[in-house]
Amino acid sequence: MSKNGYLQIHDPLKPRGQAVGIDLGTTNSLVASVVHGKPRCVPVDEGDSLLLPSVVHYAKDGGVVVGARARRLAPEHPTDTISSVKRFMGRSPDDAETRKLGHYRFVPGSKVVRFDVAGGTPVNPIEVSGEILRALKRRAEAHFSTKVEQAVITVPAYFDDAQRQATKDAGRLAGLEVLRLLNEPTAAALAYGLDKGSQGTFAVYDLGGGTFDVSILKLVDGVFEVKSTGGDSALGGDDFDRAIAQHVLQAMGASEPSPALVAEVLAASRKAKEALTDAPEVELSAGGHTQVVKRADFDAWIQPLVQKTGVVCRRALKDAGVAAGELDGVILVGGATRVPAVRRYVAELFGREPLGDIDPDQVVALGAAVQADLLTNADRQDEVLLLDVIPLSLGLETMGGIVEKLIQRNSTIPTAAAQVFTTFKDGQTGLDVHVVQGERELVEDNRSLARFTLSGIPALAAGMARVEVRFQVDADGILSVSAKEQSTGATQSITVKPSHGLSDEEIEQMLLDSIDHAEEDIQARQVREQRVDAERVLAEAERQLREHGSLLQDGERAAIDAAMARVRELSAGNDHLKLKEAVHALDETSRPFIERVMNQAITQVVGGHSVEEF
Amino acid sequence: MRTHFDVFGLPRAYDVDVPALEKQYRELSLQLHPDRVAQADARERLKALEGTTALNEAFKTLKDPVRRAFYLLKLHGIDLDREDAGAQKDMPLEFLEEVMELREALDTAMEKKDLPRARAMATDVEARRKAALGEAAGALRALEGGGPGADGQALVKKASHALGRVRYFTRFLEQVDAFEEESLS
Ligand SMILES: Nc1ncnc2c1ncn2[C@@H]1O[C@H](COP(=O)(O)OP(=O)(O)OP(=O)(O)O)[C@@H](O)[C@H]1O
Ligand SMILES: [Mg+2]
Repeated sequence: MSKNGYLQIHDPLKPRGQAVGIDLGTTNSLVASVVHGKPRCVPVDEGDSLLLPSVVHYAKDGGVVVGARARRLAPEHPTDTISSVKRFMGRSPDDAETRKLGHYRFVPGSKVVRFDVAGGTPVNPIEVSGEILRALKRRAEAHFSTKVEQAVITVPAYFDDAQRQATKDAGRLAGLEVLRLLNEPTAAALAYGLDKGSQGTFAVYDLGGGTFDVSILKLVDGVFEVKSTGGDSALGGDDFDRAIAQHVLQAMGASEPSPALVAEVLAASRKAKEALTDAPEVELSAGGHTQVVKRADFDAWIQPLVQKTGVVCRRALKDAGVAAGELDGVILVGGATRVPAVRRYVAELFGREPLGDIDPDQVVALGAAVQADLLTNADRQDEVLLLDVIPLSLGLETMGGIVEKLIQRNSTIPTAAAQVFTTFKDGQTGLDVHVVQGERELVEDNRSLARFTLSGIPALAAGMARVEVRFQVDADGILSVSAKEQSTGATQSITVKPSHGLSDEEIEQMLLDSIDHAEEDIQARQVREQRVDAERVLAEAERQLREHGSLLQDGERAAIDAAMARVRELSAGNDHLKLKEAVHALDETSRPFIERVMNQAITQVVGGHSVEEF
Repeated sequence: MRTHFDVFGLPRAYDVDVPALEKQYRELSLQLHPDRVAQADARERLKALEGTTALNEAFKTLKDPVRRAFYLLKLHGIDLDREDAGAQKDMPLEFLEEVMELREALDTAMEKKDLPRARAMATDVEARRKAALGEAAGALRALEGGGPGADGQALVKKASHALGRVRYFTRFLEQVDAFEEESLS
């Protein structure tokens, strides 16, 4: 860039760019950032929409399309267009979730979920989520004309370790430093709390497209303390769509529907569901079949699902030690809370009308942006603090397949626990450790997080070697494990990788693969950045010419005009290096003129004062 | 060793002003939390992680009267949380009889799916639990300031027996809870 002073208004590329908050939703994703002290969502899709549909289409030529355009391609390419990928994050192929009504083609026999899509290589959920994050990052960069490298990404409070780890990996894959994984209800509370400067105890009821969360929070003196959280990471508006679709498919007599038909009926069901929010009945047509759906029928179909949320809410209140009557407010979050039957149910459950004054679609992203700002902006640090909890207990497998809990659910994070293991055989040098997460008593009913062997234990008599295993859960809710042999003091550190997840090597490979794309990305970004620079230089030159034209000397005007024309011409192209040269040439050509402008300005300021005064 | 009481600069005593503790916890969190040093180097961040982990553990222990009592007993040398703790085998005979009797009554109620009966038992056990905690608290208070002497030994034993009962009653109540959830769903 220019070094001659006048054009250097500010460096558009702050060292770490703009920190953003990202709501990586099942149905829609958003990105927001704090500008001039206020969080705002960034337009990310067609028609300046703030919502980017979380849909990724893989084309035959290897191209990737994200957002509304991808969603339009879904009916025609049901197996190459992945929607609701969040439901598969951190899940194994044989999870119930993976087998629900859907229209994907999975790669059989794989230990992680892989979608068989057009373009050659199958993709896993982390890669698909990575595409969504990458699209958000790019669009935010275009909007702010600056780099975006640091992000707070929200996750459902009820996400387990594997799901959190997967989300973090997706961020890494998209070239983002994940500042924090923030629980969605906590983010919503942050958006509300800051707006209102309120104190008190609140319940956040968040029913999105694919997940349900409830959190009970206490806000005192700028500290948001999550008291308890609960949820179901496989329950949301998508399931309402499925409830309708199942009835429609039945009415059509389609017992083995094709993926295309399932996709079409699901899309129509979703439309019908959303229309039923405002109308008592709607007409649904799909696959040449038409039927009327009444709101009363819909309410009855989703009743069991809605009641499931009630059980979770009551448990969360109990865990928090708070009675419904003691709450100061109930906050509704998520598109599925627009369903009248859900609103009625929540009002009844908590005995009060819920708050909904911040757009439920945006509130999570806005809260995430606030947290990103708090984490990166030293000036704001003493204002607010979030204290969150771990949603599910962590434990170890013991004799007979029973779980011994080490860290109880709803413990404030960061937290840690230690357990001492002793050998049970003479000369034993290894110990198997199996870490699980969940509330159930039997190992098989919980999520298996990791299995590993502690090796290198000194061969001693049974019971003599003592190994202390320490579990540390960080502020993202992610677990790491270390072990220490107590007689020798030898330490081993284990990174816990979910049993059904991807290994570090696999993530590395994915990163490498994405660097191939990244080259194109960098090229595009440099062009964009250089263009922004050029525009600013041009505007500044035009202003000086307009205001100080009288200072021009013979022939100068023509030379400057020619240099400006060259910059404009190259701005339209894609060669950022040539453009950079042209900008530099403009700087050089106009320097004598600008120096004259500066000198005159200084003379005017100094004029009328004696030199001694300075 | 730095105790949970040291974290808050409190004397090693059973009675704790919980609202004041909560306030202090918030203030300390604001100072120590990893979010405060999110942009700092790895060492600073690790320090914040460890400091806050210790703070959270101390707060959890001290704010709850039951956890606090167990912790104080541990500082007096008896750790009831250790599975191999000799103290567990050392419970008086009356207690074992009490356990057997409660166990049998609950099993019968559960077999008959008699929820009201189980609930009534829970109310009774809750009262016993409270009384036992009061007894432990009394012994722990009496131990404050006093030296280890023979008297001290007897008080520690008394607290240990009372807390052993508290622990059993707590587990009993959890079982009733689980039974209740099961019968309602
Ligand atoms: N007017 C409406 N009436 C009923 N449901 C609606 C309406 N508008 C949106 N929805 C539903 O809300 C859901 C999407 O909500 P939202 O955008 O909050 O979810 P998400 O953030 O993508 O998902 P999650 O938070 O679970 O990851 C979809 O199921 C959608 O059909
Ligand atoms: Mg959401």
